[in-house]
Amino acid sequence: MDLSSVFFIGNIMNLERIPNEEKLSLCRRYYLGGFAFLPFLWLVNVLWFFREAFLKPTYTEQLQIKSYVKKSALGLIVWVAVLTTWITIFQHFRAQWGEVGDYLSFTIPLGTA
Amino acid sequence: MRLLQLWAFDFCQLLFMNTSDSEEDSYNERSALVQSESPTIPSYNQDHDMSLPQETDSKRRRPVSSGLDEPGPVERERASTPDGEEEELTLKYGAKHVIMLFIPVTLCMVVVVATIKSVSFYTEKSSQRLIYTPFEEDPNSVGQRLLNSFLNTIVMISVIVVMTIILVVLYKYRCYKFIHGWLILSSLMLLFWFSFMYLGEVFKTYNVAMDYPTLVMIIWNFGVVGMICIHWKGPLRLQQAYLIVISALMALIFIKYLPEWSAWVILGAISIYDLIAVLCPKGPLRMLVETAQERNEPIFPALIYSSAMVWMVGMADSSNPGSGESFTIIYKYFFPQDNEMLWVKLGLGDFIFYSVLVGKAAATGGDWNTTLACFVAILIGLCLTLLLLAIFKKALPALPISITFGLVFYFSTDNLVRPFMDSLAAHQYYI
Repeated sequence: MDLSSVFFIGNIMNLERIPNEEKLSLCRRYYLGGFAFLPFLWLVNVLWFFREAFLKPTYTEQLQIKSYVKKSALGLIVWVAVLTTWITIFQHFRAQWGEVGDYLSFTIPLGTA
Repeated sequence: MRLLQLWAFDFCQLLFMNTSDSEEDSYNERSALVQSESPTIPSYNQDHDMSLPQETDSKRRRPVSSGLDEPGPVERERASTPDGEEEELTLKYGAKHVIMLFIPVTLCMVVVVATIKSVSFYTEKSSQRLIYTPFEEDPNSVGQRLLNSFLNTIVMISVIVVMTIILVVLYKYRCYKFIHGWLILSSLMLLFWFSFMYLGEVFKTYNVAMDYPTLVMIIWNFGVVGMICIHWKGPLRLQQAYLIVISALMALIFIKYLPEWSAWVILGAISIYDLIAVLCPKGPLRMLVETAQERNEPIFPALIYSSAMVWMVGMADSSNPGSGESFTIIYKYFFPQDNEMLWVKLGLGDFIFYSVLVGKAAATGGDWNTTLACFVAILIGLCLTLLLLAIFKKALPALPISITFGLVFYFSTDNLVRPFMDSLAAHQYYI
């Protein structure tokens, strides 16, 4: 029986009954895809393959999967830092920036009477 | 192998005017259990088949699954085990599946009700209407309003019927690419445009400042990862989560853009259509399922929710070369081989219409009593449908029983129970 992979911790089913080469290829594709401004994809990669990479007994492709997971985690941390910085700056200085602030805003909070 | 499939009928054909074809796609995607328009499923299947030459026919008995929007019949394939044992197993594991389906249906409804109660956008009357409901409801004259809602319903249902027939024709003539493209367009629309609208309204409601760069990042990530998970390979839980979110978004759009009375009449009419389409011998959905079965292809839906419960005594190992494991990741269901894997699939269309019913109850019903009553009614209906599935072992429509109970409960609670409770509370009389 083939089993689908399960992502989150909730109801864990057997992770992947796909051959190791395919796991590696999947991990690699998720890693490469994350470069298209997709930190979420990197997050998914890390969470999905964490078990495979670190908690399972060693097999041939595991080393590479580990490296991809680590690199995805690194990229994710970088993106989180960048986004947090930007959001903090924006929220803090939005009012002061006047016109530029409005131009950048998608929604502008309304004042209270 | 035994498969329990609960097909949901999705009326993808209900599309909105804002979206041209893509909506239809989204609908297609939506229901997926069996009969929906999911010609794309075969295409997935086919592509997949070609890429996995090691799969052998003896191994695969693909369940016919319709995936997208069509209300799905529940389908079941039997394994070659003795009947009594099979029955028992079916019922036993069917119960588990019922529970497993409760969770996503409940989640979808919770998301819809939470949004309705907090974001006023979705309950504001809009002058815009869908082209599928061209007749305006005049609040002044009851007769006129009723007539217009029936006319709207007729228009809507005919659109749906036409779409379903087109889908079946496309599937029969193997225009899989077309269906596939349609499906992708509609999921694109749902994942990007509707979620963009939704986020905008949520931010406005909570008075949060949001800048374009961050918003673009959020929508881009959400949409692309959604497309990957749904149409390609991704973790099962994430895919299930995306399907729930998509159904909720769709239900919210319906709630916003369908006129009041028309919405109720349409819900009723769709359940009847579902019943006819799935059970009548010449029904389009049934033909879709049968064609898929003849071709021995699973109707896979890009959007079918599957409760994957694995019950396996001994798992075949990867020493078995042709097992084709990767299939399941794409198709999100299981091909039972030696041991049975029971799974139930519910089409997204079903999720959507259940949520529309509960959402409307939350929007227009007086208070939480009505909403809760509708919620319970739908769950009871779902239980009964799954029970029938276990008994009849063939594709069944998932909408009629639940929607009927839901409508009955809504109107009776709104008109009978609520005044009763109100006057009890007013007189401080506790029972």
